[in-house]
Amino acid sequence: MSDQNLVELQGIHKAFGDNVVLAGVDLSVARGEVIVIAGPSGSGKSTMLRCVNGLETADRGEITFDGRPVKPGKGLSALRAEIGFVFQQFHLFPHMSVLDNIVLAPVKVKGIARDAARTRGQELLERVGIAEKAHQFPAELSGGQQQRVAIARALAMDPKLMLFDEPTSALDPEMIREVLDVMRDLAREGMTMLVVTHEMGFAREVCDRLVFIDGGLIVEEGPPAEFFANAQSERAREFVDKIIHH
Amino acid sequence: MIDVLTEHWSEFSSGWWVTVQIIAGSFGIAMVVGTFVAAFRIAPNKWLQRLGGLYVEVFRNIPLLVLLFISFAGLRRAGVDIGPWVAGIASLGLYTAAYVAEALRSGVFSVGKGQIEASLSLGFSYAETLRRIVLPQAFRTVIAPLGSLTIAMIKNSAIVGVSLLALPDLLKQARVVSARTFQTDETFFWAAVGYIILTGAATLIFRALEKRFAIAR
Ligand SMILES: Nc1ncnc2c1ncn2[C@@H]1O[C@H](COP(=O)(O)OP(=O)(O)O)[C@@H](O)[C@H]1O
Ligand SMILES: [Mg+2]
Repeated sequence: MSDQNLVELQGIHKAFGDNVVLAGVDLSVARGEVIVIAGPSGSGKSTMLRCVNGLETADRGEITFDGRPVKPGKGLSALRAEIGFVFQQFHLFPHMSVLDNIVLAPVKVKGIARDAARTRGQELLERVGIAEKAHQFPAELSGGQQQRVAIARALAMDPKLMLFDEPTSALDPEMIREVLDVMRDLAREGMTMLVVTHEMGFAREVCDRLVFIDGGLIVEEGPPAEFFANAQSERAREFVDKIIHH
Repeated sequence: MIDVLTEHWSEFSSGWWVTVQIIAGSFGIAMVVGTFVAAFRIAPNKWLQRLGGLYVEVFRNIPLLVLLFISFAGLRRAGVDIGPWVAGIASLGLYTAAYVAEALRSGVFSVGKGQIEASLSLGFSYAETLRRIVLPQAFRTVIAPLGSLTIAMIKNSAIVGVSLLALPDLLKQARVVSARTFQTDETFFWAAVGYIILTGAATLIFRALEKRFAIAR
């Protein structure tokens, strides 16, 4: 069981009306692998990521997570409980304290005792560097702090996989670092991660594989150093030029 | 002026208490039924949505007075006597529930799609997401409109007493006193004071709730 890939995407097609967004995506993600997904805006990166935890349903193709199919229906919530998702806009629950945001799902979904969950939540807050904010509300935190809470909230479920959809794109430049640092630590500890990001410094340093997607297809993939040094396709070279020399 | 009140204190106070009970019962029904109807209207099932929509249309488009006649006199003539208390409280509660449902629905739409997706991503089902994430936020954003609805409901309770003659609420008692004393102005002045105490209390309570639960975004 555990030597099989954690995630498999096979022939994923997805259209919104006439707009074909994913045109046959294949991707295998090994356990412990960190993959950065890059590509121009509108190329289908978010849609692909959202298919992995079933927030979008593919029109055609198959996705498996840990050997189980990701598809609408009974088992989907249980699968999602094992997959952390970090959004560009954080989406913390504004009516709950930071700690309650983190504790909610472990207690109500997994049935963990509240005291144990709170202790664990406090540890996670420490790990992302904002232990002192536990009893404040999300609106009282900076964007970077909110995103770190969002990461802690996802980690509290002990996920096997973490999905990040442009986690630093909504942040002021001085806050990007603090979020990327948390993500880098997570990667070093062996978490399997799929990260959509424009932070090519992060990609170069942290990821095992860079996947370049354009027009709903994976155009190129490989180790990041190789991608930056000699991308094969024209679109990928343009992309590298734009990102690196801006 | 005050002697009408003091001489007929027992009528006024018992009438006021009946009004309080009508309001309390109707409020409970309005909130519970209104929440369920709102949940139906946003459920991911078009038959539930239609059922919720039908409820709102029916109860918003029938005058309260007609509802009261149907639920009391109408049903009794058809052989179902539910009594004036049940008829009055249920009519006012179910009528107000339609408005509560609409207010909550607008509150639900003010909760971003991202909130729902964040909750689903943590492993909550759609129903749990509604209960734990969406509705608590919807309630918080519609505290003010719910306050207005509650005040309207308090005033509408007077229609209940006047139309169902067997319910001796504040207005009904005021009419009795007025007929007996011919001090019409004074009697209804004190009745108005009785209603203002209730609406004023509701205003204060909802203001406090708003202060306590308002969400900073
Ligand atoms: N829910 C949706 N309904 C309609 N069109 C959508 C929806 N989500 C995404 N799209 C469209 O799909 C395309 C790809 O979007 P997305 O996956 O968000 O791209 P990326 O994340 O790479 O910028 C865009 O043209 C976008 O407008
Ligand atoms: Mg995107």
